Amino acid sequence: MIKRILGAVAGLAFGLSAMAAHADEVTVFAAASLTNALNEIGESFTAKTGHTVKPSYAASSALAKQVEQGSPANVFASADLKWMDYLTDKKLINPDTRFNLLGNTLVLVAPLDSKLDKVELGPKVDVAALAAEGRIATGNPDSVPVGLYFKQAMERAGQWGKVGPKVAAADSVRAALAFVERGEVPLGVVYATDAAVSKKVKVVGTFPDTMHDPIVYPFALVAGKETPAAKAFLETIRSPAAKGVFAKYGFKVN
Amino acid sequence: MFTLTPLEIEALYLSLLVSGWAVAGSLPLGILCAWVLARLNFPGKALFDGIIHLPLVLPPVVVGYFLLVMLGRRGPVGGWLHDWFGITIAFTWKGAAIASAVIAFPLMVRAIRLSLEGVDRGLEQAARTLGCSPLRTFFTVTLPLVAPGVLTGAILGFARSLSEFGATITFVSNIPGETRTLPIALYALTQVPGGDEAALRLCIISVVVAFAALLASEFLSRRVQARLQG
Amino acid sequence: MLELSLARSQGAFLVNVNLTAGQGITALFGPSGSGKTSVINMVAGLARPDAGRITVDGKVLFDAKAGIDLPPEARRLGYVFQEGRLFPHLSVRSNLSFGMNRTPSPERRVKLDDVVEVLGIGHLLDRRPAKLSGGEKQRVAIGRALLASPRILLMDEPLAALDAARKAEILPFIAGLSKRFAIPILYVSHAMDEVLRLADTLVLMDQGRAAAVGSVEDLLARPDLRPLTGRYEAGAVIRATVAGHDPSYGVTRLTFSGGTLLVAKCDLPAGAAVRVRIHARDIAIATEAPTRTSIRNMLPARVISVEQGDNHLVDVMLDCGGTPLWSQITALGQAQLNLTPGMNVKALIKAVTITGSHIAAPP
Repeated sequence: MIKRILGAVAGLAFGLSAMAAHADEVTVFAAASLTNALNEIGESFTAKTGHTVKPSYAASSALAKQVEQGSPANVFASADLKWMDYLTDKKLINPDTRFNLLGNTLVLVAPLDSKLDKVELGPKVDVAALAAEGRIATGNPDSVPVGLYFKQAMERAGQWGKVGPKVAAADSVRAALAFVERGEVPLGVVYATDAAVSKKVKVVGTFPDTMHDPIVYPFALVAGKETPAAKAFLETIRSPAAKGVFAKYGFKVN
Repeated sequence: MFTLTPLEIEALYLSLLVSGWAVAGSLPLGILCAWVLARLNFPGKALFDGIIHLPLVLPPVVVGYFLLVMLGRRGPVGGWLHDWFGITIAFTWKGAAIASAVIAFPLMVRAIRLSLEGVDRGLEQAARTLGCSPLRTFFTVTLPLVAPGVLTGAILGFARSLSEFGATITFVSNIPGETRTLPIALYALTQVPGGDEAALRLCIISVVVAFAALLASEFLSRRVQARLQG
Repeated sequence: MLELSLARSQGAFLVNVNLTAGQGITALFGPSGSGKTSVINMVAGLARPDAGRITVDGKVLFDAKAGIDLPPEARRLGYVFQEGRLFPHLSVRSNLSFGMNRTPSPERRVKLDDVVEVLGIGHLLDRRPAKLSGGEKQRVAIGRALLASPRILLMDEPLAALDAARKAEILPFIAGLSKRFAIPILYVSHAMDEVLRLADTLVLMDQGRAAAVGSVEDLLARPDLRPLTGRYEAGAVIRATVAGHDPSYGVTRLTFSGGTLLVAKCDLPAGAAVRVRIHARDIAIATEAPTRTSIRNMLPARVISVEQGDNHLVDVMLDCGGTPLWSQITALGQAQLNLTPGMNVKALIKAVTITGSHIAAPP
């Protein structure tokens, strides 16, 4: 009895997929900070080509781990070079399809009702003091790109010893943003693009680019998963229209 | 020999600290609730019973979120605690202990209630005729007789606390030195490429701790039973 | 002194009792379900009367009209339960001192050493209740209740769960308790042999009411109370004195108002006042004294009443020098003798039927 039902379902699925033979699915693993922009780009891609986009947004480190374990991603977009390199070294990325597209800025945000206002941030500015007895939310400084950039900036400024213990490590930059929105923490370090999307936080200061390595977003196709639809999607990403969307959200575009 | 890294020692220490306090802090309330459920009858008792059992049937993440809403910096209770006493629970091991306590509470209450229902009421009557007020009777007669059930409840609660993840990570997230218990440290390692070996080690430590807790509970239970039967 | 008037309805059953219990042992006797345990529980405060009043030594424990209802722990009573109810997690010594510790120092009249000595439980002090025999448990239970220095000791069928040998072991202890520790005892039982041995005052319970109150001898002699005092165990209780013993024949001589009674040898000293239980079925009646018979007791008596009973038995009440005696004979026997009230007859009692268990020195 069970076998019959399974057989019927399989036949139905095959039939349906045969009907939609020309509409493929593109699975995109992308850094959390790309959420809003890629959603919009994905929708217009689907409207134009009929291919569906299945995005999965998380910390680049977590996504890299999943690709490493064989997740069915077609496209990988990281918020730093480190994780793209990691996968490339493991021959999990098709290196010919790789390109750097976007840049970003690190900002200091606070809940809307915070008493803090515009602060000129620099290597000498005591970030730990700004947080007072509260914590600074950001991505996990050991793995998540935004946390890595922030840690690097603080280490270079000689402040990590004081700042490190005050960090509230979140799973991704969006999770860190949520902490700030909820008022759980007085300060957070996220990308300028994330702050722009949120209505519940205000930008208190911007970290000068010189404090850390450039924030670079590489895109690539996962090795062995370069379907025509995936290739088309990657092309769309580089199109002027898409670049316009990225710029709208505040990304620096190459 | 199997020596522990600082990270592992910290995770182990936090797990024991959080679970220990979770049980110790909620045991009195657990005994009280078990007593109310076992001995009293009042309108709304079923509702009361249901609320106590909610953490058992709700997804732990839901429980954690509820705690966040209530006890977070901006929550009704958390905000009051912060404004009036300067107490913050978010991101601290105390918050983790609260999360574990809430999750483990129904298990404790069930075990204690069962034991209470098995206590011979006649013995309590005898104590009353010998001059014991109801409160004294509870402490000198009922409680010692319920000791095995209380012990079972405490150990169940402790074990459940040791493995608590969903509510903890939602409520107090993963703060090294404060809330990074064994399950949370393990989870964090699985999110990072290259963390597999460390994750496996934590896995082994968790199993060892769980076994130790089980053996300790067996031993203690036998001791208590023997004392009761002379 | 205990004074109570209680009323309580339990389903279809109404308990309604008025009684006064003085010094010594007051026994509440009746079949199961006659309300005895309800009464004692109400005195203890474990059950609540619907109406009434309970006072002990003038102190009001319960008064429905005045709204007074002292909780059990405030009543200063001692209760010995049928099942003992010793605390399993405490040693015998701790069990014993449990009530004593809750009694304020100046009110502690009963000493631990006395109780241990009287009850013979010194060797058990460090044991746990689980390691005690039934008889030992009950002795500890009695000791525990005594050590609370109660105003009155309540006992609810404390010997019901024991076999005959254990009962015989403990009965003497209980018999002497009231006098020894100067505490009145309210004793519930459905066993007539316990009542005979122990009771100064007997309260006959019937369906929730106290049908009669009086001394054991008086109540047992009343024909209207026969149904309550038990048909099979029917008999009389007489007061007698030990006149002497004849060890060579193993007999003891008792004197009472009706003459001399020869009984199986008992251990009581000469001069002791005793109660003797004589079963109705052990008394035969003869219109003239038989000769050449083994029967040693042939007492002159006068027939008071003759009643038909069940099973073709006839109950005859005799007056033996002022002491009432009951005799049960067959209808056939009655047909032959044609006994009528007023007739002078001989009451024949075999000495062997009255053994040590039928004789007791009343407390």
